[in-house]
Amino acid sequence: MSQLGDLLDDVVSEVDGAFLFSPSGSLYGRFQEADEPVVVVGTENDVDAEAFVELPLEFEDVRERIRFGIEGGLENEFIEEGDQVACALRLFADDIDTVTRVRAGDFDRSGVYGLFVDSRAEPEVIRNVLEVAIELGKKGQKGKRVGALFVVGDAGKVMNKSRPLSYNPFEKSHVHVGDPIVDVMLKEFSRLDGAFVISDSGKIVSAYRYLEPAAEGVDIPKGLGARHMAAGAITKDTNAVAVVLSESDGLVRAFSGGEIILELDPEEY
Amino acid sequence: MYPCQFGVRGWFQSLSTPEQNLLIAVAVLLAGLLLGSLAAFFVRRILFASGVDEAVEGTPFERTARQLGSSTVQLLAQLSGLFVFVVAALYAARTIGLVPEEALVEAVGRFLPQLFVAIFIVLIGLVVADKAELVVDERLKSIKLPEVTIVSTLLKVSILYVAALVALSQLGVATGALLILLAAYAFGVFFLGGLAFKDLLSSAAAGIYLLLSEPYAIGDEIEIDGHRGIVQEMGVFVTHIERDGEEYILPNRKVFREGAIRIRGE
Repeated sequence: MSQLGDLLDDVVSEVDGAFLFSPSGSLYGRFQEADEPVVVVGTENDVDAEAFVELPLEFEDVRERIRFGIEGGLENEFIEEGDQVACALRLFADDIDTVTRVRAGDFDRSGVYGLFVDSRAEPEVIRNVLEVAIELGKKGQKGKRVGALFVVGDAGKVMNKSRPLSYNPFEKSHVHVGDPIVDVMLKEFSRLDGAFVISDSGKIVSAYRYLEPAAEGVDIPKGLGARHMAAGAITKDTNAVAVVLSESDGLVRAFSGGEIILELDPEEY
Repeated sequence: MYPCQFGVRGWFQSLSTPEQNLLIAVAVLLAGLLLGSLAAFFVRRILFASGVDEAVEGTPFERTARQLGSSTVQLLAQLSGLFVFVVAALYAARTIGLVPEEALVEAVGRFLPQLFVAIFIVLIGLVVADKAELVVDERLKSIKLPEVTIVSTLLKVSILYVAALVALSQLGVATGALLILLAAYAFGVFFLGGLAFKDLLSSAAAGIYLLLSEPYAIGDEIEIDGHRGIVQEMGVFVTHIERDGEEYILPNRKVFREGAIRIRGE
């Protein structure tokens, strides 16, 4: 089947760089001699690659994964806008089984890379919050679907643009997202209304916050409710990032600067 | 039953003294072998039960032991078994008069436990030092600074040094000079370390109070030492205060030394 080989040659001919998604050490070793830039994308830099883009989570959606990798490559100037890039990644198997060709900058920059790297809060914290939201979306609270709103970063300003709905269960506690006990606590408290406020370093500052940002000029898709509206508005008004778990459609959305940056289906993780 | 036992005793008494001694020696040796393996067995069980095998997992010492087809736990168990057996062998040798000088046996008998304790201490020191290095390295892994490995190496060397010191003094070797060296080293670490970490320590002490009693929380507007702004972050060592895009990072000891003004209302 030489035709297949030709087809693959066509796909990868004259590319300006290669993106390897979570490659094994031996595979990366073979690429080290290449003239074109080789960028490794993965959750961990196992192969000690020089050009490395860290994935905050294993995006199940291949498009999201590639988008994140390319945006990270552009941001770090491993590649340039308009470069033709070959991406080698895994789709079905446990190792790399798919090669695709992308023109960097072809799709509009969604800012998904910036969401993690350029936010006030540490990337680790945003990732942990996303994981909590995904977990919550998957299991719900006692089998019932729940919604939740997490505002991450710039906590001082967020606290000044919100008011308490009830006593704050996290007062004088010093738990951080990512602590094992927190998952259970957040699940319990997500039954109640209001937003969680999380600081830059991941400390849970408060629950039950009613957000009162200036909501002018916030444009979110029709059909999304007050929770998303509040998330969009608070991220426009402050430097925070918001992660929303929708009660109606069960999706997790991340907001930054008043816009939806990332949309994930918890069921896929 | 009785005649049989009687028979054995009779047979034993009919033997000559050297033969009797030889028999006792063999019996003692066999008992030593049995007790030794029993001791090894129990030591191994105890070590396994207390999770020592998991604790030493991954240390260089354990890896070396594995390469030699053994493991730390097995080595310790075998050593204790060997100790019991050697003591038994010594007694057996004395029974048949193989070692003519009583004084030598006495001296060896007194020296042997010390030797074994010394070996044990060195072994434990090796394992603990390796483990400490591993744990500290793991902790410092997130800090991407190559020079930071000196901390774990220093810790490992210190533990080995102390273990060697204890082992040597166990053997009765003069360790005075080494002891003085240790004292100087400890003085250096604690005194100079205390001096270097003075500010950090006083900040941490103040920080713990601040975190426990929370006189101000994230989102409050406060003024510390002329810096006014909204609290963005409270840590053990520092407090972050932000105002108009400027974030002041103030050590917590400032809060105690200068006090903080909390601004309420308009």
